[in-house]
Amino acid sequence: MSPEGFPSFISAQLHYLVNHSPQTIKVEQVWSGCKYSGSLDRFTLLIPYCLDTIKWDVIYNADFPLAAPDVIFGPEDEEFHPFHDTSADVTATKNSLSDWNNKDPTRLLALIQELRDQYMSYQRKRVGEVDDDRLKFEYSTMLSREGIEMHMNSGVEKPEEVKFAVPLLDMNINKMVVGCPWRHQQRIYLQVIYPVNRKYVSAPSAPRLKLMSTAELKSLFSIDDVKLPPWLDGMCMAEYLPHLEESLERQVLEAVSLTDVRRRFIEALAPLLGRPVETDSVFYRKAMFFVASGNFSFLVLIFLSTQFPKQQPALMLQSSLYFNPQSMPIKSPLLTEYPWSPRWESSQMAERIFEFLVDESLNFKKYCSEGHLQQ
Amino acid sequence: MACLQLQKIAISGPTLASMIQRLSSSPGDVDGFIFGHVTQITTLSDDTSSSDNSASQLTATITSFLCSGSPLSFYDALGRVNSPKVPSFNQQNHLLGWFSGRRQSAIRPSMREFSVTNSLSKIPQFKFSIKNSSETLSPCVFILFTTPLTDQLIHTHQYRAYQFNTSNKSFHAKSLDVVNIGPAFRGHYDNFAPNCALPLMNCSAMDEESMYANKEKVSDQKQLDLCAEGFQIERLRRLMGPEATNYTEALEDLYEKMLAKAESLTRLVESSSAKVFELENNNRKLRYKVSRSAGSE
Repeated sequence: MSPEGFPSFISAQLHYLVNHSPQTIKVEQVWSGCKYSGSLDRFTLLIPYCLDTIKWDVIYNADFPLAAPDVIFGPEDEEFHPFHDTSADVTATKNSLSDWNNKDPTRLLALIQELRDQYMSYQRKRVGEVDDDRLKFEYSTMLSREGIEMHMNSGVEKPEEVKFAVPLLDMNINKMVVGCPWRHQQRIYLQVIYPVNRKYVSAPSAPRLKLMSTAELKSLFSIDDVKLPPWLDGMCMAEYLPHLEESLERQVLEAVSLTDVRRRFIEALAPLLGRPVETDSVFYRKAMFFVASGNFSFLVLIFLSTQFPKQQPALMLQSSLYFNPQSMPIKSPLLTEYPWSPRWESSQMAERIFEFLVDESLNFKKYCSEGHLQQ
Repeated sequence: MACLQLQKIAISGPTLASMIQRLSSSPGDVDGFIFGHVTQITTLSDDTSSSDNSASQLTATITSFLCSGSPLSFYDALGRVNSPKVPSFNQQNHLLGWFSGRRQSAIRPSMREFSVTNSLSKIPQFKFSIKNSSETLSPCVFILFTTPLTDQLIHTHQYRAYQFNTSNKSFHAKSLDVVNIGPAFRGHYDNFAPNCALPLMNCSAMDEESMYANKEKVSDQKQLDLCAEGFQIERLRRLMGPEATNYTEALEDLYEKMLAKAESLTRLVESSSAKVFELENNNRKLRYKVSRSAGSE
C-alpha cells in the first residue's frame, strides 16, 4: 500500500490501522472519488474473518475532511446493519462513529474493530437460527469456546453451509518460543464446514475438516505434517476435539523441543567448520559457514526442516570466488543424499557431514572452475 | 404494522437527467431530498368470481428534488436525521424520501444510507396521505446513484431505486419507471401535477402568501412591460389584414431588441457561473487547507 495520494488525515488513520490491528488487515485497492483533485479517499479493506477474508469498502470524502467515513459491506451481507439495534432506538448507544474526529489516527481502527465485532455477533446469530438439529447441537456445544468464529454461507448458487473456525490448544505458542519474533499471536484452528440439512437425515454426512494456522507458525511447526484423526459416523465436535487437541498439543511441544535439537546440532558443527557466519537464532532452521579446503574457500548453507532430525538437513555450497555470467556466485544444487541416521548423536551427525563436505568440496571446486571457464 | 408496497417508482426523464447532472457536476459525493406523491390506482380485474375483484397498485411519482451539493447535509455520521434541516412540504408535494450520489463506489446501500433511510422513515411528522386512499405512508423511497468503479464500461452512471420496508427494516429494489413526454405517454403523464422546479424553502415570506402573490404579480407585469418595449398586446391585432405590411418593420425591430437582450442575458449567466465556479474552487482550496491542518496536528 502506498500512502501517497491520500490526504494526510486519511493516510495517518490507515497507517495506524495496518500497523496496530490485532489481525492482519490488508488494503486491496485504493481510488479517488473526487472530480478534480484526484485525492485518494476510498479503499477496500481485506479483513480476516473465520479463516477467510471479508471485503469492506471504506468511503471517505477528501473534499469534506471533517466528515466521518462510510462503509459498504459485501453484497452477501445485505442484512448486516451494525449500529442498529432493532429493539430500541439506535441513537442512544455510543459507538466509534459518534463524535468522529479525523485528527485522531486511531479512529479508523476502532471503527473497523467495532464493526468486525458486530459482524461476528451477526454471523453467530444467523448460524444460531439455522433450522438443522445437528447444527443446533454443535452450535450449542461449541459456543462457549473462546475466540470461535462462525459464518453462514448462503449464496444463490452455492449450497447452504455453516463454517466454524475453532481455535485449538489453550496455550500461548508465542511464549514458548525464546526470542519470539511474531507480532501477532500464533494459533492453530480447525476449520469445520457443515452442510445445512433442513430435513431429518438419519446418518448425517461428516463435516469437512481442515487444520489451518497463522502463516508465521510454519517456521516452528507445519500443520501440513499433522494427520487428522478419522471422523466416525454419528460423531460430534465435542467428542472429536479433545482427541485432536491432545495429539496436537503433544506435537507442538515436540516441535518446540526440536528447536533445541537443531541448536545443538549447529553448535556441534562449529568445532569442525568454524564459527557460523550467520544463523537463524530463533528457530535454528538455517545456518551458514565459511569453509576453506586448501586454497579453495566457499560457503556452506545448511537448511533444517521442522522434521529434523527425522529428515536430514539439505546442504548447498556457494562459491566465494567464481561467478556465473549474471555475476551471481556459483551454487551447487541442494544436496540431500548423503549418509544419515536420525539416531546418531549430534556430534556424530556433524562429523559425518564434515566428512561428506570434504569429498564434496573437490566436486564443487571442479564444478566451479568448469562453470567459470565456460564463459 | 405491514408496510404498503409500492408497485413502481415513476420519474420524468428530465428530472432523472437533472439529478444525474447534479452528481456529475459536483466535486464530490452529494445527497438530497425527493419530492412527489403516491397514488393508488385501482384496476378492475377480469375475474369477477372472486370476492375482491379490484387490485390496487401504488405508484410513487417523483416530481422534484433538492440536491444539497455535499454529503451529510441533513444527518450526522451515524445517519441520524436532523429534522429541522429537512425542508417543508405541502399537500401536492410530499417528501417521498432521499437520494445519495456516490462517485466510484459499489451500487449497494452503505451502512450510513441504511441508517438515514431508517431514521427518515421513523419521523412521524413526515407521514403523508396517499392519493385516492385513506392510508398514509412514511418517506421510504431511496435512490442511489453511483459512477462505475471500472473505466472499461460504456455507461458513466448507474442508479437503483429502493423502497424501505419499515416493518422488517430492509431495502426492496423497485423498478424506476422513466416517463417521457410523447403522445403514447399522455395518459401516463396526467399523473404529474405541474410543479415549480424549485422546492418550497423555509422562508418567512411564505407565510403571508396573498401579500407575496400580489407583489409577485406586480413585479411580473413590470418585467413583461420592460420586455415588450412599449409594444402593447393590442398592437398585435394590426398584424392581421391589410395593414400588416406596415407593421412588420416595427415587429422586426422588437425582435432585434429582444435578441440583443437575450444575448446580454446569456453573457450575464456566463459571467455569473464563472463566478460561482471560482467560488467553488476557492471553497475547495479552503477545505484542503483544513484537511492538511487536520492531518498535521
